[in-house]
Amino acid sequence: MVEPVNSSLGKMLLEEVSPVVMVLCTPLVEETFLKNGLSFVETLKPFCNFSNIDVPVRTSGDQLYRLKKFMLRLFNAADIRQPNVEVAKQRLEHVITQAGEKVFHDLKSDPPQITDILSNSESEIAPTWFQYYNKELIRTLSFSDHEAFDHPVACLLVVSSKDEDPLNKFVDLFNTNRLPSLLNDGVMDPKILKHFLLVHDNQDATTERTSKVLSEMRSTFGNNECNLLCTNSSKEGNVEHQANPWASFKSSVPAEKLGCALTGDDIGEIKDLMQEFASRHIIPYMEQKVRDLNQQISATRKGLRNQIKNLWWRKGKDDIPDSTKGSIYTFSSTESQIRILGDYAFMLHDYELALSSYRLISTDYKLDKAWKHYAGVQEMMGLAYFISDQSIKEAEYCMENASSTYMKLGKSGFQNATRCGLWWAEMLKARDQYKEAASVYFRICGEEPLHAAVMLEQASYCFVLTKPAMLHKYGFHLVLSGDHYKICDQVNHAIRTYRSAISVYESTTWSHIKDHVYFHIGQWYAIVGMNDVAVRNMLRVLDCGNQSKSTQEIFLRDFFDIVKKTGMKHEVVGLRLPVINMSSLQVIYEDHRTYASQASALVEESIWQSLEDDIIPSLNSGKSNWLELQSKLLPKKYKESNVCVVGESVKLDLEFRNPLLISTSVTSVSLICELTENSDDLKLVEKETSSLSLGTEHNQVTTSGFSSFTLSEVDFTLGGGEKKLVRLTVTPSEEGVLKIVGVRWELSGSIVGVHYFQSVPTKAKTNKAKRKNKLTPTDPLKFLVIKSLPRLEGSVDHLPDKLYAGDLRYLVLELKNNSESPIKNLKMKISHPRFVNPESHEEELTPGFPDCLKKGPEQNTVQRETSRTSVFEFPKDVSLQGDRSLRWPLWLRAAIPGTISLYFTIYYEMENVSSIMKYRTLRMHYSLQVLPSLETSFEITPSPSRLQEFLVRMDIVNRANSDSFEIHQLSTVGCRWGISLLQPVDTILPSKSILPGQGLSCFFMIKDCRKPGTEEEKTTSILPSQTDIKLITQDDDEKLFDIVNSPLASFHESERSCHGTSDQLSPNTVDFILISRLAKSSNPSAEQDLPKILSHHSCHNRIRSSIPLSWSLDGPKTMYHDFSTSFCEIKLKMVIRNTSDGFLSVSINTIDGLPDAAAPTPSSGNLSGWRYVPAITEEMKLTSDVMRSRLGKPPPSMESSPPFIWSGSSSTKVQIQPLSTTEIPVQISVFSPGVYNLCSYTLTWELSEHENASSSTSSGICQGYPCYLTVLQSE
Amino acid sequence: MIVCVAVVGHQNNPLYIQSFTEAEDALKLHHIVHCSLDVIDERVNNPSKSGTTLNEAFLGLLYPALNYKVYGYLTNTKVKFIMVTSDLDVRDTDVRSFFRKFHAAYVDAVSNPFHVPGKKITSRTFSESVTNIVSSYSFN
Repeated sequence: MVEPVNSSLGKMLLEEVSPVVMVLCTPLVEETFLKNGLSFVETLKPFCNFSNIDVPVRTSGDQLYRLKKFMLRLFNAADIRQPNVEVAKQRLEHVITQAGEKVFHDLKSDPPQITDILSNSESEIAPTWFQYYNKELIRTLSFSDHEAFDHPVACLLVVSSKDEDPLNKFVDLFNTNRLPSLLNDGVMDPKILKHFLLVHDNQDATTERTSKVLSEMRSTFGNNECNLLCTNSSKEGNVEHQANPWASFKSSVPAEKLGCALTGDDIGEIKDLMQEFASRHIIPYMEQKVRDLNQQISATRKGLRNQIKNLWWRKGKDDIPDSTKGSIYTFSSTESQIRILGDYAFMLHDYELALSSYRLISTDYKLDKAWKHYAGVQEMMGLAYFISDQSIKEAEYCMENASSTYMKLGKSGFQNATRCGLWWAEMLKARDQYKEAASVYFRICGEEPLHAAVMLEQASYCFVLTKPAMLHKYGFHLVLSGDHYKICDQVNHAIRTYRSAISVYESTTWSHIKDHVYFHIGQWYAIVGMNDVAVRNMLRVLDCGNQSKSTQEIFLRDFFDIVKKTGMKHEVVGLRLPVINMSSLQVIYEDHRTYASQASALVEESIWQSLEDDIIPSLNSGKSNWLELQSKLLPKKYKESNVCVVGESVKLDLEFRNPLLISTSVTSVSLICELTENSDDLKLVEKETSSLSLGTEHNQVTTSGFSSFTLSEVDFTLGGGEKKLVRLTVTPSEEGVLKIVGVRWELSGSIVGVHYFQSVPTKAKTNKAKRKNKLTPTDPLKFLVIKSLPRLEGSVDHLPDKLYAGDLRYLVLELKNNSESPIKNLKMKISHPRFVNPESHEEELTPGFPDCLKKGPEQNTVQRETSRTSVFEFPKDVSLQGDRSLRWPLWLRAAIPGTISLYFTIYYEMENVSSIMKYRTLRMHYSLQVLPSLETSFEITPSPSRLQEFLVRMDIVNRANSDSFEIHQLSTVGCRWGISLLQPVDTILPSKSILPGQGLSCFFMIKDCRKPGTEEEKTTSILPSQTDIKLITQDDDEKLFDIVNSPLASFHESERSCHGTSDQLSPNTVDFILISRLAKSSNPSAEQDLPKILSHHSCHNRIRSSIPLSWSLDGPKTMYHDFSTSFCEIKLKMVIRNTSDGFLSVSINTIDGLPDAAAPTPSSGNLSGWRYVPAITEEMKLTSDVMRSRLGKPPPSMESSPPFIWSGSSSTKVQIQPLSTTEIPVQISVFSPGVYNLCSYTLTWELSEHENASSSTSSGICQGYPCYLTVLQSE
Repeated sequence: MIVCVAVVGHQNNPLYIQSFTEAEDALKLHHIVHCSLDVIDERVNNPSKSGTTLNEAFLGLLYPALNYKVYGYLTNTKVKFIMVTSDLDVRDTDVRSFFRKFHAAYVDAVSNPFHVPGKKITSRTFSESVTNIVSSYSFN
């Protein structure tokens, strides 16, 4: 800790609490000294400070002590008055403004770092002008009436030797009329030490006259009180002083001019004069006065008696109204005398005496309620305690007391409180109690903003100096101070404080405060005209997403105003408006893989690769020469970067996000690219470009027309908080190495934001790696540009995105090659061959769709090529070039409901292969939404009555949500099965269309028309061509669709292969195609996109039969016989057909006996006449009921049918070839007329794969079914 | 009336700050909260000064500002809770119980598996419960 005397407060007190000397001089004296550019007082001032005066002093006690440091304050008599408040205020303001101008140049530099601030010592942190300001502030209170240390101790009367009648002048000077009013009013003691000085100007006065005047003076005023001062010894007046003593006191005049007429001797003379004046006259005089006063006071006030008396006397004054005016005490009153004693003792550094005097007086003042005086005394006590290094607590208590007492006085006491506070704060600082000092500064802020600003700033520096530093408070007080400075238009100071505050908030996340600081400092920089710095600061605010909308608007508006003021385009690297989401970066480029659309480019690479596996010549095809091949295909250097083609754009998707709530328009978004000519000197050129400032390089590229690449520019507007994915492209027009460096954009046409991509290459790389699989390039944004190649463009026309399952469409694939060089060897592969079928010829459909599918007059039953590979190869002669476009017909059929992604990849080769790329692929991706429509299911059961006929039950359900369908046609596939209606069309579907959700069952008959090679077919068969039936009544002229020769057939093939199961070869399967169409009225809108026909394929419908054979008992139905002659023998024929592909052995066992018993009991199932009853469902029951009612039960009379006897062999066994028929004669004998039910037999069958195989695959027993024979008595 | 509550992370980064005044004094309250961090640091570094509160999370009155009183609370994880109230005579027990409830709400909020420690608390549930706690205390 510093010794109190040497602390800054100690120095301050030495300067401020020191004897005042009043100077009275004639105009001629002033004139003499003005030759030096100085007034008389100014000339003497530097010599009033004595660092080691070494004068022995004895005050009240007997102890002598030596005074070391001493100082005199010289004032012209005219200045000894209380300063005008307004003038003082102006002077203070001037001080601040001047200081502000000085700091102006520092403002451009970067704000100080917090670590620098912390490492600095106190003197470096706080600006130096604070000292000066504080001094000025204290001076505004000089010559106050409640304090005595400003009372003049002595009076210096100065007369020039040139004056006429100098002796009278001396008398005139001390004329009471001319004395300051304070002395006349009685506040100050007019009886003071007088000293007479005669000034002799060596330039123009004669020595004789001077010496004469001096001797006269000495005789009149006394020898000791008179002095002679000879000045201006230099005739020319051009003396230059090393270390000019006046320079620090008067700065307005150049230092060389000051004291130019004074030689070294003159200065020495002045010095001696002042030294003598202080030590010989002033100090002894003060000593004497202190001693006198002390004696006087001891007599009147000290001792018990006096104190009681005093107390009593003061009690008596209680009724006097509370008076704060100091006028009640004149210099001669006891109180003032004590105060003078204290102040004199203080000035003579006898602090003990001073303290005791102050203590004595302070109680008096308190009793008198003279608060101002009381506070003043308390203040001095505090200072005395401090400077004598006594109790710290006492000192602080006194200061606190003084300060709060001044405060209580209201406005009038505030200035005093301020001074008190300043001293107090200094006192605390000297004791390293910075935090407390700060709070003192805070206390004396007051209401006047400028004053408050300075005090707050001083407080803030105290917080830094606290150990540990309280940086949060430091920042806060700086901000407060800055705000106050701003209120008083001290913008420079405001900036200075905020700049320091930035250092606190810079690295924190207190964005609310941070935004405020940066925004305001930006505004203020703009006010002082430093727009570039303003912009720099404002930029920090732009990303103010957490602020309210109105705040954001203000921020942006002001920002753009300032930017406009600068009048130039600012290029800002790392502008945060809008924010770029680097993880969204996606590069899309085309090397040998080209994409038809945006959607196809985004499809995962593995899908394409698996699709293209078959058609692309594999690099690794020959293991022996892959090295050679690879190196030929892609030189090593090329492998390191991606490849793109001249004239084909590289696309880059980037997401921009607006962090603000207000919409922002972003214009001229483009990429920043570098294209280096030759890959060989790649490194060299790259170095060059990177050394260039990128901004200028970019401009060069765009403006000078030297365009080795073209960039797309995108403008867009981002709403509040909106994100937008923006596609940017660069199209190289020369070969070389293209590098995408970054992206730039313009904000409101004045700010250019630049973002470089280098920072996050890893992110993009992983993205890339996924796309490129094994061939990972080192830099995803670096491209090798190779020379122009043909590029195929393709699209599928009129592909609907929404359609019903089964919808059949005719589409055209259009391929176009815009370049002049031809391409060849086109191949196409489609991910869903079930959905899409390319036509084999490039032909336009003549009759139009869907009529082309209908049967023409001539039946062309040429079976289409059914086995197709998944790769479709275009004919060899197809080669594309120039403007010609290839229109290739395609058939689309929505096979299954759901969302389907269709991938087309078209492979092609370049005709003139000179490039590193020999082939390319065109990738197309479409997605379809397929809605469910009609669902069909078929049930086939053998007919009970006909051998090769089957009953078909078709169940249709409309699964569509809104549309209804009409069914148009049902066909069986292949020539084997003929189909016919069982009911009239009208009865099947009276409403003509199937409504959404509606189900329908209808029945058909199909007939096996297959002709076994060996057996001859006896049954009457329908025409083999009758495989289609029309299920529609109106439009009788409408033709049926040809399912054999149309794309329907090929779609059916794929359906078959899709549904293909292990028993694909099973003969007893039927395929159906149901053709339907949308009911006309159901959807009047969207006429164009309406599906024209829908086909529903149902494959491998098995005949639901458990036995591999069918049989019938043929014979006459009615016979006449004369039973009188004999019993009747009837020959019957049993026809058994092997419906399987295996060899069948059947044995027939006849059962004689009571038919009632033998015949199978008519259980509900068997009654229906169906030998196989499928699992009963709701619908089934219905049908079986129908059957039952139709066939009816045998009449009850039949139950008692007369018996008959099987008269042939009772057991016959036959072997039946596959799919052949055999006949077995049987015979019965009847004995009486009647109706006979010939059902008392069983068929036992065994099926085996081979003719003589011992093991049978299956076997079973069948009961005979009723067959009625009527025998009548012949007449 | 409680005018502002704040949660400040152990690196003095704001995690949550909410003012309950109608006036546009968010900036002022931010500053007050920010400043009080100095006082908390001081309290924590010189526990001898505060004496008995050695093992207590509640830090007591941090400093009286012009129209406000600022109270502090320090959790075991060095997360600070700061409460600014405009009531000038407040009982410590009330403030203590306020902070206890506030602490519970905070623990609930950071226990959310989707909360990133050290990041701002954006949970709407948290702000709702804080609002409820604040409205239930009027200190009168």
